[in-house]
Amino acid sequence: MSQKLRIIIPLALLGAAGVAYAAHVSAGTLSAFGWESISLICPIGALGTMLASKMLVPRAVISIVLAVAAILLLGRAFCGWLCPVPVWSKLRGIFKKGGTSTAGAASGISSAPDAAPGISSVGGDLGRPSATEATSAAPATKATPLSAAEKRALKTSCAGGCSSCADRKPADSRHIILGGTLLSAAIFGFPVFCLVCPVGLSFAMVFLLIALFGGGDVTWSVLIIPALIAVEVIFFRKWCSHLCPISSFMSLIGRANRTFQPAIDDAKCLETAHNATCGRCAEACEVGINPRHPELGTTFNECTRCHACADVCPGHAISFPLIARKTAGAPALEPTTAGASGTSAIEPELDLDEPSETLS
Amino acid sequence: MGDEKKREGAGMSRRTFALGVGGAGVLLAMGGLKLVPAEAQVRPPGGQDESRLVASCIRCERCVEACPRGALRPAHIEDGIVSVRTPTTNFNDGWCDFCADENDGVPLCVAACPTEALALPADATAETTIIGKAVLIREWCLAWDKNNGCRFCYDACPYEAIELDENGRPVVVPDNCNGCGACQSVCVSQKEGSYTTGATSRAIIVVPESEA
Repeated sequence: MSQKLRIIIPLALLGAAGVAYAAHVSAGTLSAFGWESISLICPIGALGTMLASKMLVPRAVISIVLAVAAILLLGRAFCGWLCPVPVWSKLRGIFKKGGTSTAGAASGISSAPDAAPGISSVGGDLGRPSATEATSAAPATKATPLSAAEKRALKTSCAGGCSSCADRKPADSRHIILGGTLLSAAIFGFPVFCLVCPVGLSFAMVFLLIALFGGGDVTWSVLIIPALIAVEVIFFRKWCSHLCPISSFMSLIGRANRTFQPAIDDAKCLETAHNATCGRCAEACEVGINPRHPELGTTFNECTRCHACADVCPGHAISFPLIARKTAGAPALEPTTAGASGTSAIEPELDLDEPSETLS
Repeated sequence: MGDEKKREGAGMSRRTFALGVGGAGVLLAMGGLKLVPAEAQVRPPGGQDESRLVASCIRCERCVEACPRGALRPAHIEDGIVSVRTPTTNFNDGWCDFCADENDGVPLCVAACPTEALALPADATAETTIIGKAVLIREWCLAWDKNNGCRFCYDACPYEAIELDENGRPVVVPDNCNGCGACQSVCVSQKEGSYTTGATSRAIIVVPESEA
């Protein structure tokens, strides 16, 4: 359900903006929405406009403060729920395989057993002596070190079964591009990124279509703007994870986010409650977070609150509480605070995602 | 940048680094588009300082939405690459009276602009703000070309910026014109199609002050 909502909400926003545009109601777009003289500006646009004009704009400053507050509270939820770009990027699946991203996820799951039989067979416990040991020794069960066999299995499943792994995992190239965005605005004196921002272009496209069919306003922009969106988002597949400076901004601020992160109820999780291997949540995650074993995945500041992990969890163990309770499950979210004696010892060799990233 | 370099050492792959630098390079190169000569645009009130408007405008199109007369439109690619989606006037459908009825003489586009790309001094009025200047193209004007006594623009002008000559043909008085677009909005030369040949616009149009 949440996955459908994540498509419906951005499209509804585009539609609502279009209706407002046609009715000459100045409600704005995601670039700047509001009512009459009240506006909430996109933080990248706000930074860009102030750097370019060398002026302090009150509404831009307020918008940045509010955006930072929202990111501190909800992380990258904007990316998961409001931004139209992920919706466009789903079109790619239609062109390629005649299936959407859910088809891709399904194939990922089905192919996983071939690569690593132990990982995805829910019932088949591959024999994790360390797991049972730790369960009895310390309540911090989820900080349990993985056995060498399991790490190998994880690695092979990443390199083989799920080729999209490296693509979806957010990369630091975004941050360089954010730097380039701000530098370019400051040097050339106009918010350069706004010119090609696919979020802004999506809304511009709606307005252009209204002007075209409603007012006969014919322009090459009608072709060029969707072409630009297609190049950025559909043809070039890594927009959100590797390029988007808005995503970068949210990821950087989101490092201080501690609220509404996915938390696992150990009493329901198959791994802790039934000593099984599962990993469905990690497979489902669009940004490569591993909620069960955070140290194996992306950091939590990339979480878009898309709820894909919660949706696929067979035990319905994943929720998004305001503050994760510091129970047995909590240490799992923050490996550094995990009290289990084993954690600190294995930390150095836990950089599993490193090799997998460079491999592909 | 130092921060990024450091993290590169800490684990950013060379490919990721190259992608980031490439993307940043594209954005810097796009900044150079500003140097491409662009056609001057008639801007909404408060947007006459072109460098400020281009610097501040985030292309959110709030002003275009806000205009109750439909007298604004987003610029298109044909108007210049850097101008795309910045506001420009469209006086074919409506004209600007500073929202006298709708907002007591404070233009709604200026009120809606979140980044102050459109900004007016506190004492600005419709009379003192020069949006542009009206220009009459005699070859396309029914009064001049067909001598049919058409005077819609003369009747529409609220600022006595159009006079009639001894033959009843309209003449613009540039000193009185503030570019409100009332004349353009009522001009019928193109609406009536076949009356004028080769016309690419109406016979009286508002152009940027610099081009009048």
